[in-house]
Amino acid sequence: MTDYWRSLGELEGSPEFEAVRHREFLEGAADTPDGISRRTMLGLMGASLSLSGLAACRRPVEKIVPYVQAPEDMLPGIPQRYATTMPFRGNALGLLVVSNEGRPTKIEGNELHPATQGSSNAFAQNAIYELYDPDRSRVVLQGGAEKTWADFLTYWKPLHAEHVADSGAGLAIVAAPSTSPTEARLVTLLKQRFSQARVVTWAPLGNENRQAGLRAATGAEIEPVYALDQARVILSLDGDFLQDDPDAIRLTRAYSAGRRDPAAMNRLYVAESTLSITGIAADHRLAIPSGAIAGFTLALATELGKLGVPVAGVSGGGTVFDAKWLSAVAKDLKANAGKCVIIAGAQQPPEVHAAVAALNAALGNAGKTVSYASAGTAARSRVADLQALAGDLEAGKIKTLVLLGGNPAYDAPADLDFATVAAKAANRIRVGLFVDETSAVADWHVPQAHFLESWGDARAIGGPLSVVQPLIEPLFAGHSVIEVLALLESAEEKPGYDLVRETWKPVLGGDFDKGWEKTLHDGVLSGSELAAQPLPAADMSTIAKLASFKAPQGFELVFLPSSVVYDGSASNSAWMQELPEPVSKLTWDNAALISKTDADGLGIHDGDMVTLALGDKSISAAALVLPGQAVGSVGIALGYGRTAAGRAGNGVGFNAYPLRTTKTLGFAAGLTVTKAGGTHVLALTHEHWSQEGRDIVREKDVAGHGHSATGGHDEHGEHDEHGGHKHPPLVSPWQERTYEEGPQWAMTIDLNSCVGCNACVIACQSENNIPSVGKDQVTRGREMHWIRIDRYFSGRPEAPESIVFQPVPCMHCENAPCEQVCPVAATVHGETGLNEMVYNRCIGTRYCSNNCPYKVRRFNFYNFTKDTPETLQMAYNPDVTVRARGVMEKCSYCVQRLTRATRDAKLGNRAMQDGEAKTACQQACPAQAIEFGDIRDPKSRITASKASPRRYDLLAELNSKPRTSYLSRMRNPNPELSA
Amino acid sequence: MAQIFPERLNNLPLAVGLGAPLGLIGAVAFVWYFFSPWYTQVGYQPTQPVPYSHKLHAGDMEINCRYCHAAVETSAVASIPPTQVCMNCHQLAKKDSPLLQPIRDSAASQQPMEWVRVHELADYVYFNHASHVHAGVGCVECHGRIDQMEVVKQEQPLSMGWCLDCHRNPGPHLRPPDQVTNMRWAPSAAHDELSAQWISERHIKPPTDCWGCHR
Repeated sequence: MTDYWRSLGELEGSPEFEAVRHREFLEGAADTPDGISRRTMLGLMGASLSLSGLAACRRPVEKIVPYVQAPEDMLPGIPQRYATTMPFRGNALGLLVVSNEGRPTKIEGNELHPATQGSSNAFAQNAIYELYDPDRSRVVLQGGAEKTWADFLTYWKPLHAEHVADSGAGLAIVAAPSTSPTEARLVTLLKQRFSQARVVTWAPLGNENRQAGLRAATGAEIEPVYALDQARVILSLDGDFLQDDPDAIRLTRAYSAGRRDPAAMNRLYVAESTLSITGIAADHRLAIPSGAIAGFTLALATELGKLGVPVAGVSGGGTVFDAKWLSAVAKDLKANAGKCVIIAGAQQPPEVHAAVAALNAALGNAGKTVSYASAGTAARSRVADLQALAGDLEAGKIKTLVLLGGNPAYDAPADLDFATVAAKAANRIRVGLFVDETSAVADWHVPQAHFLESWGDARAIGGPLSVVQPLIEPLFAGHSVIEVLALLESAEEKPGYDLVRETWKPVLGGDFDKGWEKTLHDGVLSGSELAAQPLPAADMSTIAKLASFKAPQGFELVFLPSSVVYDGSASNSAWMQELPEPVSKLTWDNAALISKTDADGLGIHDGDMVTLALGDKSISAAALVLPGQAVGSVGIALGYGRTAAGRAGNGVGFNAYPLRTTKTLGFAAGLTVTKAGGTHVLALTHEHWSQEGRDIVREKDVAGHGHSATGGHDEHGEHDEHGGHKHPPLVSPWQERTYEEGPQWAMTIDLNSCVGCNACVIACQSENNIPSVGKDQVTRGREMHWIRIDRYFSGRPEAPESIVFQPVPCMHCENAPCEQVCPVAATVHGETGLNEMVYNRCIGTRYCSNNCPYKVRRFNFYNFTKDTPETLQMAYNPDVTVRARGVMEKCSYCVQRLTRATRDAKLGNRAMQDGEAKTACQQACPAQAIEFGDIRDPKSRITASKASPRRYDLLAELNSKPRTSYLSRMRNPNPELSA
Repeated sequence: MAQIFPERLNNLPLAVGLGAPLGLIGAVAFVWYFFSPWYTQVGYQPTQPVPYSHKLHAGDMEINCRYCHAAVETSAVASIPPTQVCMNCHQLAKKDSPLLQPIRDSAASQQPMEWVRVHELADYVYFNHASHVHAGVGCVECHGRIDQMEVVKQEQPLSMGWCLDCHRNPGPHLRPPDQVTNMRWAPSAAHDELSAQWISERHIKPPTDCWGCHR
């Protein structure tokens, strides 16, 4: 059996880890955050209990408030679903939003929309939190004083006339990237009226380099659309396409689909600097600095040229790193020409993207595994435009600066000093969801409407067109970007609904209303995909140009998109801040990620403060030793260290933007790392809920065991035919219950599909009203997530052999150990096989959690929901109890969804269909790793999944008979490299 | 000779003498209160903003329950009618009655009525009207003879034990689905056989698991 470890502390057996692993609840877990001891607390509780006892003698009068006029098609107590679209990093995610009595409460993917196909990601789920964020801006502000929308209109009208007179010469607009046809139409109108106005698009992260590279290679404004399900070999060059890519949901689904069939499984090679979830998924990973990717690509092209791939003009050069690795990859690509694909990461320079496009064309992949769609009218971020604007602002040429969305004062390249130059414009207008760093620069702040509150439209990557349909009236009287653009253009107010319909009239043609209704209903306009084009004659000479990139010397700093707060736009979401970053398992912080080798060389340990200096600029950050990090490369996530994010995001982590310039948007060479002295507490969750080295994760090689192989590693012959530990016959001390009636719910989690993206964790949090507890609480092991994703390393920390993600919800054991020890029968077994947790019986002994071998129970040490702001209370699912202090809670298999599906079938006098009851995690999973259903139904997908030879149960030797099973991880290593 | 008991126990007999009766009184008071209809609020009959008479509407005029409580067959809640439903009739009938002034105000001002909840379950109870109506549990089983009440009052304890009585033995409380809203329906002599037949035909299996109602 392979030895797995989750943290370096565990691997080395550090005293800190040993202290943690033997404790069910961490030291101090029972203390309150403000330091009141348990004993004081008991005293206080006693007093409050007697008071509440007196108060409870009289039941409060409850009011029922019906409608005055009931809306059509709406009955109280029955949630509705509306299709809408989330504009997302230059892509559009088709969503179905659940609305309870007019309150949107849960985001789900829209099965008809190609970008989501029914799944979602953590960011889409988080839209609910963002909508109800108590720190959203609520009023129009002028110089900090409250004004009204009418005041703003009065202010704008003369200004509008002034700019009509100067043809907009003094007018500049900075907007966030958008694929909205309506926005594009309004910008065109605006440019007609103000012929000299500047409209600049800016976002700190995105695919700007990829577009620039394709422009250089082909001269066309195109974007790649990958068909990963068609690819047998995938090579990612510093590209985290499973997490950071705007199209990650679709890519994850296609990638996972390509790994289902052991006989035709794809093979993933990743060369990257900072370990990403794509690197974790890889069959072979090469850790090299980001700055070396260009050299590596050239070496690969050279190698491919030697194998006969037509790469004209390439005459050697590049950096080989690992000759065996390079040659194996090149041979595999050549052997699968036309069925392979190379993807380069967003932080790589345009030259690498151009070369990759040329290589894909040379390998015959263009039009097969990767096609190219016209970028259409989309507004894309261009740093050169922002730079030019900063110059004009500096020169005093701009009189009126309008900042539409985004947050350039915080995230623009440091060398532009945007906050300072923006202040030189006489009139500064800001439209934003929050009063943030950029609002501080503006004199007028106008609240922006959230996408769940406004009409709009968007085009997804590859072309599908859909409408953004509001779920609720603007909570804080905000206005959408298109409404503001229309106002800027015409000085007249126009409702977003009319603006969007006007754009769509020519699109839908004919019977407009019918087409409009159908598009709203489906959430996507069918047939709107843009025709994919093969790559227009790729310029092979772009590859040889990579020779100008020198092999990096010394340290480099890689600017990474945060997997949880992205560029800082999700900073104020407590859900996202508390979501463990998938690779490092860090919450409520970012850190300078450094390799074990470099850390040892510099004498740095986890949490030590370091100074990162580039030229004359430097920042301080906490260091975190990340296994698999490339030597010579330091990675840091952007989006932290905000000063005006709100109550959750302020002062969390370390701001890396001050080191990022227009020249070094992806990574910067010449970094000096010095130990700064002092330490910082990092709230890492990877040592919580330790499994004590038991046989929990299993993986195998496809080649090593043939296609019908069993699950676990059985090189030592100590496993049974199902890959589990051989164990004595299991005897139950109790009369075991039988489950012969009704649906019997069960789940399988396919470790081979799971990419660890975290979508399930946030979906569960949103569905089940799970509180966020804050950094201090997480360090005490009190995080409340009902499903956690464990991450296991094996091998050396410098170069882990394999890394496995394992999502762990409640196992719903048939012989549940927790049930045996509860003194008040607050956790019992139900007829459908569910291990039920009854909050109103629980007295908080925590015995159940002690006795749970899987560590899936979470205790409300504190009344985490007591101070939930009123707006966030609107996000609560009305079908799930909001738990109070002192009760245990855990995964329920989303019993409220199961009950609803069962009841709907019964009310409809029909049998329940397979797949009708879905858990929130299953629904969100873009990799379709979670299967759920009735194991009594022989034709159900869950029954088929449970019969898989890869299936194993966790700790089956305990005879706990878990209903949740796992399918072991499969690797598809290249025989040349695995030998 | 040394004392067997230390001096500080001198007051023990007094403490026991006083404490034991107090404890006994406490126990009696606990049972008296918490096991009584007072605690379950049987008979709770709050004053509503409009003296709406179920006796008049549902009883004398025989308006079906579902005319106003429209969601009862499909939703968890039976639903209290929107003001508009009242006004359907009362813009013609009794259109000047001073008792109906709050209704007319609500319709004119678009401010909703605030009715006082009579049948109140704890927040952790997820009761579903549709399931019960579908199974053939009459309104009268839980709400009593609403058609005879001038002012609605709580007739049954609505306690967990009371719910479970029926969930464990639903037969006596079932009726044909088309008679669910009929307040005057009475079981026939052959009710036991009939109800057994309904239970098997309609697959009636009321949950007795905790998560049947709490989650």
